[in-house]
Amino acid sequence: MSGLADLTLGFIPLTDCAPLVVAKARGFFAEEGLEVTLSREASWATIRDKVLVGALDGAHMLAPMALAAGLNDPRSAMLAPLALNQNGSAITVSTRLAAQLRQIDPEGMAAPLITAAPLAKLVEQRRAQDAPILTFAMVFPQSMHNYALRYWLAQAGIDPDRDVRLVVTPPPRMVEHLRLGEIDGFCVGAPWNAVAVDEGLGEVLIKASQLWPGGPDKVFGVTAGWAERHGDELRAALRALIRAAAWADEPGNHAELVALLSRPDHVGVEAEVVARALKSEIVFHRDAAGLPRREHALWFLSQMVRWGQVRAELDLDQVADAVYRPDLFREAALSLGPIVDPAMVFADAAPAGGGLFDSASFDPAKASSYAAAFPIGRMRP
Amino acid sequence: MRVLVIDPDPARAALVAEGLEGVQPLEVRRAATFDEREAAAFAPDVVVIAADSPDRDTLESLREAGQHNPRAVVMFVDRSEPGLAEQAVRAGVAAYVVDGLAPARVRSILDVAMSRFALTQQLRGDLAKAKADLESRKTVERAKGLLMKERGLDEDGAYRLLRKLAMDRGKPIGQVAADLLAFAGVLKGDAS
Repeated sequence: MSGLADLTLGFIPLTDCAPLVVAKARGFFAEEGLEVTLSREASWATIRDKVLVGALDGAHMLAPMALAAGLNDPRSAMLAPLALNQNGSAITVSTRLAAQLRQIDPEGMAAPLITAAPLAKLVEQRRAQDAPILTFAMVFPQSMHNYALRYWLAQAGIDPDRDVRLVVTPPPRMVEHLRLGEIDGFCVGAPWNAVAVDEGLGEVLIKASQLWPGGPDKVFGVTAGWAERHGDELRAALRALIRAAAWADEPGNHAELVALLSRPDHVGVEAEVVARALKSEIVFHRDAAGLPRREHALWFLSQMVRWGQVRAELDLDQVADAVYRPDLFREAALSLGPIVDPAMVFADAAPAGGGLFDSASFDPAKASSYAAAFPIGRMRP
Repeated sequence: MRVLVIDPDPARAALVAEGLEGVQPLEVRRAATFDEREAAAFAPDVVVIAADSPDRDTLESLREAGQHNPRAVVMFVDRSEPGLAEQAVRAGVAAYVVDGLAPARVRSILDVAMSRFALTQQLRGDLAKAKADLESRKTVERAKGLLMKERGLDEDGAYRLLRKLAMDRGKPIGQVAADLLAFAGVLKGDAS
């Protein structure tokens, strides 16, 4: 008996739930004295609500969802004491749309880094022909996928609210909707881009690792109230999850990781497809991937301001510092000893070369003016 | 008032719809998945959705996308009855309500949905238990037959032996019977 409370943690069937699945299956939770039940959930909204009412103690969560949780009601405030992964998502379009893009802009589609410029030309052409606007899907309004897709589109002059239609589609249905022609493209996490490619239905235009090398994605989220009441459990869970993330990064463990993830009670997708997304793309631990970085929180908040999800007057620094808790990560990580490089854990600035694909610089100290400077946006005073 | 019930579980959806028909005046429609066009045509005042439906995230996005959806949707959890929201989440139900609907009317709908969800869970639990009981009885019968054949016992003797094994090991008799059959299978060369 460790004296620690039993925990129930939620996850969504996506590759980046790996740290939770591994910590459970490999016994890392148990070694930290935790009895953990994993609960597979069907939607991010249900994850959020269950964490808020205490039906789940913590969960695999969209990073911006954790940031947004307490904005309307401080009693719902959440913490992100650990980032679960970097990369893994991608923007994929139907093979039909890809062929049209190649026709209208062969050079742009052959570039090593595909911007939305070919798509902008096609959008223009379709407008001239009075063709219906294209539909793109993402997974949730407050998600890296929404902001990444919007950023990529707007960077080429496409207004994501006027020139195309954006819809929310649950990840496991993305590929089916692409097949049915209900959507023309999507931005979603692993393994669903690989599934679309595997079935000959889609073509990946840009991966998260190209769009923003080392960019953020999911976090482990708990409510601020729970963290206060369960400090010991939180520390134990973070230690187990950090060990699991380190384990999941080891190439020698990938075969076992793929087998674990492809199980029907986890992600439930063919092993080969899961394996493809793992290869050189998704990062769980190395480069201090687990550190919930302040500048990531501020970038998310800047995009919430940009797209009118929050008012521009919001104190972004205050929200970022209340939700993102690198101190909790550091405390847990450093207590684990040599599996975490202390220098990385204390590096607050992004690693050299960090930044989005368009080389526009983001200064976390000026998040509000950054948000206001975009030519395309929906800022609210 | 129009209520749309989204539930991937058709039996449960039918129970909820049937329960809601008692709340007057009401038009209830149910579907396994949320289709934006169908929903727009039906123009529900309330959408009751199972927490295990992935479509919740789509409904969530309609709260923000005012321009695509002329009827503003708000989530009931945002409203001022925190106890009710928690109850609903734990029961596995969420409701999305068109702005301006009286909270008391939503409450009665949500109460029906929650009670029907609980009823479904109870019925499913009973059914699973009945199946397990039946399965265990069949297993015990087969184990008895095996003992009668291999040990030359009569039916009563075979049962007493099984019961003794169960008591000695502190395991349910169905489990001991299943273990016995599995071992017998292995000894006969059945590797599966």
